[in-house]
Amino acid sequence: SEEMSRIQMFLQHDSAYACVAEFGELGLVEFSDLNENVNEFQRKYINEVRRCDEMERKLRYIEKECRKALNAVPPDNGENPDTPMPSEMFNLELTFEKLENELKEVNSNKETLMKNKLELTELKHILRKTQTFFDEAHLTLGSTTGSESSSTSLLSAEAPVGDQHAPKFGFIAGVIVRERVPSFERMLWRACRGNVFLRQTEIETPLEDPVTGDEVNKCVFIIFFQGEQLKTKVRKICEGYKATMYPCPDTQAERREMSMGVMTRIEDIQTVLSQTEEHQTRILSNSARNIRLWFRKVKKIKAVYHTLNLCNIQKAIIAEGWCPSADIDRVHLAARRGTERSGTDIPAIINKMDTRKIPPTYHKTNKFTHGYQAIVDAYGIADYLEINPAPFTLITFPFLFAVMFGDCGHGTIMFLFALWMVWNEKKIAAEKSTNEIWMILFNGRYIILLMGLFSIYTGLLYNDCFSKSLNIFGSSWSLADTYTTMDITNNTLATTATIQLNPKYTFDTGSPYPLGIDPIWNIAQNQIVFLNSYKMKLSVILGVTQMIFGVLLSFSNHTYFKRPLNVISEFVPQLLFLCAIMGYLVVMIFTKWLIFDSEDSAIAPSLLITLIDMFLFKTHILPLFSGQQVVETLLLIVAVVCVPWMLLMKPLTLWMRNKNLLKTNQGLTVRNVRTVIHSREERVNIVDEDELGVGTSDDVDGDIKGDLDEEVEDAPFEMSEVMILSSIHTIEYCLSCISHTASYLRLWALSLAHAELSEVLWNMVLRIGLVSSTYAGSVITFMVFVGWAGATIIILLIMEGLSAFLHTLRLHWVEFQSKFYHGDGRAFTPFSFSVILDSSDD
Amino acid sequence: MGGGMSGPSFNIDNGYLEGLIRGFKNGILTRNDYLNLVQCETLEDLKVHLQSTDYGSFLANEPGPLSVSVIDDKLRNKLVLEFQHIRNQSVEPLSTFLDYITYSYMIDNIVLLITGTLHQRSISELAAKCHPLGIFEQMEAIGAVSTPAELYNTIIVDTPLAPFFLDCIFVQDLDEMNIEIIRNTLYKNYLEEFHNFCQQIGGITADVMCEILAFEADRRAIIITINSFGTELTKDDRSKLYPCCGKLHPEGLSALARSDDYDQVRAVADYYAEYKVLFEGAGNNPGDKTLEDKLFEHEVKLNVFSFLQQFHFGVFYSFIKLKEQEIRNIIWISECVAQRHRTKIDNYIPIF
Repeated sequence: SEEMSRIQMFLQHDSAYACVAEFGELGLVEFSDLNENVNEFQRKYINEVRRCDEMERKLRYIEKECRKALNAVPPDNGENPDTPMPSEMFNLELTFEKLENELKEVNSNKETLMKNKLELTELKHILRKTQTFFDEAHLTLGSTTGSESSSTSLLSAEAPVGDQHAPKFGFIAGVIVRERVPSFERMLWRACRGNVFLRQTEIETPLEDPVTGDEVNKCVFIIFFQGEQLKTKVRKICEGYKATMYPCPDTQAERREMSMGVMTRIEDIQTVLSQTEEHQTRILSNSARNIRLWFRKVKKIKAVYHTLNLCNIQKAIIAEGWCPSADIDRVHLAARRGTERSGTDIPAIINKMDTRKIPPTYHKTNKFTHGYQAIVDAYGIADYLEINPAPFTLITFPFLFAVMFGDCGHGTIMFLFALWMVWNEKKIAAEKSTNEIWMILFNGRYIILLMGLFSIYTGLLYNDCFSKSLNIFGSSWSLADTYTTMDITNNTLATTATIQLNPKYTFDTGSPYPLGIDPIWNIAQNQIVFLNSYKMKLSVILGVTQMIFGVLLSFSNHTYFKRPLNVISEFVPQLLFLCAIMGYLVVMIFTKWLIFDSEDSAIAPSLLITLIDMFLFKTHILPLFSGQQVVETLLLIVAVVCVPWMLLMKPLTLWMRNKNLLKTNQGLTVRNVRTVIHSREERVNIVDEDELGVGTSDDVDGDIKGDLDEEVEDAPFEMSEVMILSSIHTIEYCLSCISHTASYLRLWALSLAHAELSEVLWNMVLRIGLVSSTYAGSVITFMVFVGWAGATIIILLIMEGLSAFLHTLRLHWVEFQSKFYHGDGRAFTPFSFSVILDSSDD
Repeated sequence: MGGGMSGPSFNIDNGYLEGLIRGFKNGILTRNDYLNLVQCETLEDLKVHLQSTDYGSFLANEPGPLSVSVIDDKLRNKLVLEFQHIRNQSVEPLSTFLDYITYSYMIDNIVLLITGTLHQRSISELAAKCHPLGIFEQMEAIGAVSTPAELYNTIIVDTPLAPFFLDCIFVQDLDEMNIEIIRNTLYKNYLEEFHNFCQQIGGITADVMCEILAFEADRRAIIITINSFGTELTKDDRSKLYPCCGKLHPEGLSALARSDDYDQVRAVADYYAEYKVLFEGAGNNPGDKTLEDKLFEHEVKLNVFSFLQQFHFGVFYSFIKLKEQEIRNIIWISECVAQRHRTKIDNYIPIF
């Protein structure tokens, strides 16, 4: 990771804002909170933050109105404005204030107009609908004249031309939301004990709610009743159900006249309304163009003030933070730019500080390495300056994946897909998709690219392409010159299903197949047996190599952090232990491959048994090489010695050192040493602040650093703790050497599963079409191909790919990184506008 | 219903919602948050601090200056949204359980509307004050009724409160006293019914909820007794209002029915260990906590305990109650801040 520096910045009140804004554009400084125990709302610049909140609220309001009125998302032209200066903030505030007020006024005007319009439209409908009610009443009256039955008395009574002796009937007409009609009707019935008569009908066209703009379905109703008491009751119920009541004239002529009046008024209102809407659209379309820009400006101001709130504010504004040591010049430059922008002549002062605080970890990545770094970071952020496994992962990750996914056909598809993403990356990135799964794929495009490429390579080695072999160079197995020796004729080929080929006669020893596995194995019956043995050994070799490499990396960690004790007490025994057991196994694998050929392969000893015999000190019937017994005994002794070495050496050394330290310090405990250092550094800080950082503290910090050794950090020394820790590590390491090697066998297992699955798919699906000898076969193949291609993509590419990816991830996180990676650091989170704007745009 | 409600089978229907509610519960303000809130100088400060809690930007779209009533509205809206989300996702018997929770708000709303109309306030003004959890369709037509019988026949009969109201039909007319009687009768019947329902569900739900509801019943009995001193409510009528599902039932309730002053109530409570403590700490002197606060504290404690068990419905009830208490706390603090009356600002009841 990058080397980081703790920097202290003394900013003038006038120029602080501009400087911090420049740092935000730069995105290389992480600010530390110097007011941790001050409440959010007690900080210095909280009022400015609040003003920004207020501006954002107004902008959100304007944006909402834009969406509502223009029915379109305000365009985003991706402009990146300069951070507005505080003076500009007033202007922005004024603009927003004016816009909001204007919009509010227009909206309230519009709302009143809409309300009027709604009322008039409802009235129009009432007049029209009640007319039909009254007409119907006339008709019913006509048909039932003379009938004195009680059921029609109510109906006849409501007609204006009804019986003379009937008491006067009143009615109320109005409009109610459709959903509430049934309960309204029931309530009326209950409250008035059935003494009212209700007619209702639906308004066909839905009306617009003036406030929300939603469409609502309403019904016109008319209620007839008798007497004042019922009238108040009905009115109250109507109010309770939020029904709007309208005056409705008694006679038909009046109703017609009123209806005419209403129509003209609706037309008038419509013209005014369209003018208001036009005005609104004009205001909004102007602001819609700028709204994203405004949002960004306000976000930037707010971010700057949030950062300033982290600073210690006295005569000058004192900020502390981290930045990469290599980029400190750029930070200086940004501060100078900021000072110039604000027009003051007192420069900002930036000092490197010496500190005991552990710096954050910062890895510079580009778009290619970013994905791999993310894989490592997902396990744990590296300690500061610890070796970063990402560069090694860059190659080993796709390679181990490909070992499990070895099929050049599938690899090609994967590679082309990733290539397409890489090719169009600018276009795709600009779309800013919100589909999470798609974005995961897209962000891993370079990983997928390499995985595809490596799969093609391993596919060629396994000679596997959609489960079939490519016979590019011609198989090295031949029957041609063995007819005589093996008693084979053309006839035998036609009659027997299988023929056993003896490599002694049929294998052309002069030229083995030049690339990977000989294609003849693809049609061999013992293909799996052959490949298993090969892939299993390969897995062990790859695994042990990667683990040894991991242990070697721990050496460079130990030397970098100057921990010679760890080299002797951890690295050396670990390496010896691993090499003595697993390394020896790898050596045996190679030896076995080298010394047995087709002549004597039948008597080759089993490696597994050999290894077990090694632990049991048994004599081998057939040694691989002379002196094997002695070598094995030696290796075993080395491995056994390594265990107490790892377990005891470190705790004992630390214990001795601590005893000596106590003796020499004459009872001065380590704790006291540390407090002395502490106060000394505080004094340095005070000096710095008084002289505005003019004084340097180089002379003092030399000896502070010297004292701060790793061993001092361990104090107070606790023997039991160190002992327990050491034993845990030892047990874990010794067991893991065996179990991790076994774990690498997943390389073989998944590779086997992948090959078998794709073969099954070929034989069960695509072959259905291929075996047919008639023309119908071509049609069947055509149809079956869809199924085969779909299953290939879904099962073999996506599912198998994911599973292989997951296993690779595990092999890296657990088997590889556990050998050296600590991963206990804290990521560097610089104050950067681009990050802030990106995260808030979503 | 009882057997299949425990363990993993609980999760088939309710696991997601329980998880959700426990997540919501983690957003409840802690003691530390209150300590910060109490330090606020203005309501704007309060808003800034609430923004850093689970309330997030719930006030972000409110144009300033803030008022306590706006905060109250927004707090309540948030709770209602959460509750309604859960209610919409729930299936039987949890949905009925959740409905039971809303009934108490319906009772409050009815009483609020009746008292309001008695005092000639307009229905729309009153409706705005009703708790959104207890809103029902027929509610606003309450202005059209004038006697309890009418109230039942036109409005209550269609609501789930109908069975609770049967005892009140015989009350003569609607005056202050009778409204209180109606409220308490409704509440008594409601509590007993809810208690019953929880026992039907059985299992841990019954264990947890019966404890909480029993306390609720006892609290009401005690408060009714204390408030009835000096009014024209007869002892006989009073005893009819006591919910019978509490721990005071039956001996304690009959003793309460006989008591004439505060000290006698206290003497009754002395027989019950958990209530004795509450009366001991309570007093009306400055610096003392009131009995009401003590009772609230005990309620909070019971509700917090319900989160200690899994696979039961009590958490839903407890969450609503704790959130109610939190809203009361925030409003109390905001009132104190708004009126610059800081001496009593610490009288809130912290939850965690």
